[in-house]
Amino acid sequence: MATSVGAVRLANPVMAASGTFGYGLDLIDFCPPERLGAVVSKGLSPQPRPGNPMPRIVETAAGMINAIGLQNIGVEAFCRDALPLLRARGAVVAVNVFGARMEEYLEVIARCEREAGVAAYELNVSCPNVTAGGMEFGHDPALLETLARRCREATRRPLWVKLSPNAPDLVATARAAAAGGADALTLINTVRAMAIDAVARRPVLANGCGGLSGPAVKPIALRMVWEVHRALPEVPLVGIGGVETGRDAAEFLLAGASAVQVGTATFRDPAAPLRIVAELERFCETQGIADVRELIGGLQWR
Amino acid sequence: MIARRDLAVRVAARTDLSPTCFRIALTTPEPLAAVPGQFGMVACGEGFDPLLRRAFSIAGVARREGVTIVELMVKQIGRGSALLRRAPLGAELRLLAPLGNGFTLAPGEEGPLALVAGGIGLPPLLFAAELLAAQGTAFDLYLGAATAAELLEVEHCRSAAAAAGGELVCTTDDGSAGEAGFVTAALERRLAGGRRYARALACGPNPMLRALARLARERGLEAELSLEEPMGCGVGVCLGCVVELADGRFVPSCKEGPVFPASRLAARWSA
Repeated sequence: MATSVGAVRLANPVMAASGTFGYGLDLIDFCPPERLGAVVSKGLSPQPRPGNPMPRIVETAAGMINAIGLQNIGVEAFCRDALPLLRARGAVVAVNVFGARMEEYLEVIARCEREAGVAAYELNVSCPNVTAGGMEFGHDPALLETLARRCREATRRPLWVKLSPNAPDLVATARAAAAGGADALTLINTVRAMAIDAVARRPVLANGCGGLSGPAVKPIALRMVWEVHRALPEVPLVGIGGVETGRDAAEFLLAGASAVQVGTATFRDPAAPLRIVAELERFCETQGIADVRELIGGLQWR
Repeated sequence: MIARRDLAVRVAARTDLSPTCFRIALTTPEPLAAVPGQFGMVACGEGFDPLLRRAFSIAGVARREGVTIVELMVKQIGRGSALLRRAPLGAELRLLAPLGNGFTLAPGEEGPLALVAGGIGLPPLLFAAELLAAQGTAFDLYLGAATAAELLEVEHCRSAAAAAGGELVCTTDDGSAGEAGFVTAALERRLAGGRRYARALACGPNPMLRALARLARERGLEAELSLEEPMGCGVGVCLGCVVELADGRFVPSCKEGPVFPASRLAARWSA
């Protein structure tokens, strides 16, 4: 079941997605992090952040919308409290990084550079850049290329960029991230969405809008992975969006992903990532697939 | 701490308690223990609608003849609770439990305690009432609801309170049964009349708990509140149910709660 995302070797192609698995240790009794391909930390900023007002989540048909607001303990607490334990367990750890300014991304990376046991950085580029007037980094190819380049210069570790499905031109942002030096691309982040309470005549979420995730977004995510894979076949991709089963994971691999991330499924079933590893293994057995990597980009286009 | 597990359970019994609420018994051969205030996440259906599990406070756990029986009380509000109401007896569901931190019930505690329940906030207090009665701790049980028809398990509550030498005080918002007005007002009247409690334990809608937190603060009464926040995962990773604490932290109520000492909550939570 071994695969790799660029230079990052994984025991299996299933990772726990950022923001759905705490700091890697919260679900140890259901999903020991070292048994997954990798765990991606909750998005880390230089300082702790309290996040958005409540309500922050709402369930929708086959999905949920969240506006957590990037609540996190800050990079220092992560490096001090969680990373040593993850390292001791032998987990492959990707650190999800975000900032409201470019300098904040660099600060988080600089702090993690002092630590062993970080396999990769994953840049969350779906947050509004305050210095560029609130434009999301991930929506503007030129801004994204600069961000990727600045982060690239700050580390020799593998750099992944997590793409937003809300960008006006997905392939252009994918190209920009790769041009800036990204080693791999994760896609997709949540789809901007809203839920309305018709009786109250108000949005359900305190933030008004949020990001849709879960099975509802899987077809969109598959299409986007496939499009980026076709445009940039040499760039390793990590597929994410509504992966609930091993067979879903196989679909993402066929579309061109080298690995997948499991997010919302973990909210339904805290053992979901590990279950999906087993299901994917069984899928390969029943399909006579000796090496899971055979699936990657194996979609037969009519 | 009791280890949480994700168990296959069967719907063994269901009883209507009111026009909107019902009691449901789930059984499993696996052993399970819980303390009052702890909850479980129930997968109410198959497929992706509803997508998430539903959080229910545990109303009681018993083990008889090699079978664990977990009692829940449910108010039918949305799709998840509607599925539970129609699930055939014998249907298999999944229950992730026990989760969170319950009320602190010290064995041999002197009391008396004030147990305050609003509407479907009753389950952890009925669970606590039975344990307290069994260990001989005195308490009064305050049971509030919108209307007479929505007062849940009145006889059950009365016998538990009587077993502990205490009183059951019923209130309804519309005055159709018991004392008219909010359950917190009934408690306040008794405190004003000189009744003294060692502590108060409460569960109900958040406006009721806010009123109780204010009352506890004014009266110097120690109170533990079981909060009702919308929970996505129940295990502390989605951060959908955070509560602001007095120390400034925002913590998931599913993991650090759902029972919090009122004094640990940020003052503005109950302002």
